[in-house]
Amino acid sequence: MSRTWLDNAFWETPKKQILNAISEEVDGNQTKRQVHKLDRLNEDGSENELFLEVVEYLGEDKIDAASKKRLEKKQAEAELEKQKKVEQERSKKLEKLFEYKLETFEIPEIKESKNRLLKSKLRRSKSIPEVNLYAILLVQEALDEGTK
Amino acid sequence: MKEPSKGFVVVASRNINFYTYAINLIESIKDYHPEARVCLVTEERFLDGREDIADDLIFCDNHYRAKLWGMANSPYDMTMYIDADMECEHEDIATVWDDMKDYDMVFHELTEERGRYYAVREFLYEGKTEQYRLCGGVCLYNSSNPLVMELMEDWDDLYRRQLARLWRPEGFDEQQWEKDLRIFDQTTLWWLVNKEEKYKDLKIGIFDDDIRWNYFTQYGYQGFKSKYDKPPILRHYSGCLSKDVPIV
Repeated sequence: MSRTWLDNAFWETPKKQILNAISEEVDGNQTKRQVHKLDRLNEDGSENELFLEVVEYLGEDKIDAASKKRLEKKQAEAELEKQKKVEQERSKKLEKLFEYKLETFEIPEIKESKNRLLKSKLRRSKSIPEVNLYAILLVQEALDEGTK
Repeated sequence: MKEPSKGFVVVASRNINFYTYAINLIESIKDYHPEARVCLVTEERFLDGREDIADDLIFCDNHYRAKLWGMANSPYDMTMYIDADMECEHEDIATVWDDMKDYDMVFHELTEERGRYYAVREFLYEGKTEQYRLCGGVCLYNSSNPLVMELMEDWDDLYRRQLARLWRPEGFDEQQWEKDLRIFDQTTLWWLVNKEEKYKDLKIGIFDDDIRWNYFTQYGYQGFKSKYDKPPILRHYSGCLSKDVPIV
């Protein structure tokens, strides 16, 4: 039964003090894989034999390359997740804004207004304050007409 | 030769909120396409003066899926049906007729990626898994083709019977039918276009860049984009509105 190491091992820390590696052992028809999180040093300060075995087996360059690749992948995933969150927030904001506009359009002075231009501007508003501004103009217009 | 008439159909029935949504939709269409002709299909009891924005007005009953009846009664030769809880936000709305090409009907596609936002996408038929592919939120159709209009009438008629438990074709899983499929008008549409011989020759297509024509707000949660990276033309607020709660 011999132990090998998968070539996707990576450093867990920039100073290369912790190594994450997967060992593979073939026993007859059975293959056993195990994930190891290896400290460079044992608790008493001596070098960790298993850690050295992996570095010896794979070579530091290979581990460096796998670590770089993994880091880039993780950063890309994090960026994508961040973008997704931004999109999600934007969609939720848009939904709230739509409901707010519908409520605004139910204000009697606005509901009855024939001012298509202002109503269109209200509908195209990108924020609640902008909706409010056009709503004020429409209500003001209705009040002015009422006093004529 | 006379130019075929083209127009939008919007339906609001059963619930007064849909009338408010419909008025907003019609006004938004006209914001971006002032020459558009729009027909409002609604119940007479909802009218409050705002219906003047519509070019044509047709009264329907209070069935909650009167949309199917409205689609079958379009006054135009070429029709774009749009669910009332949508809003137009782009001037490309005027180009909708280009998507008709030589199709008889054109839909938004219910893809696997989008499937998570639909209540049901897959179902069993004769022991095999089938899928709904056509989403009825928008539908562009040649309403001067008698066969298309016959399908629309059958869709309305069969759906009403389906809902009332008066029609259920063989082949569906009984439990699934009762739990998920019976209430969906998409079930009826699937049956008509896939199993009804007389409609086999109808040419049914999908809008080019179809996401722009029926952009569910939930698509934004996943960052779904148009294939040409263009903004939505019609946004669908289906999932976020409290339709049974009065707006004010």
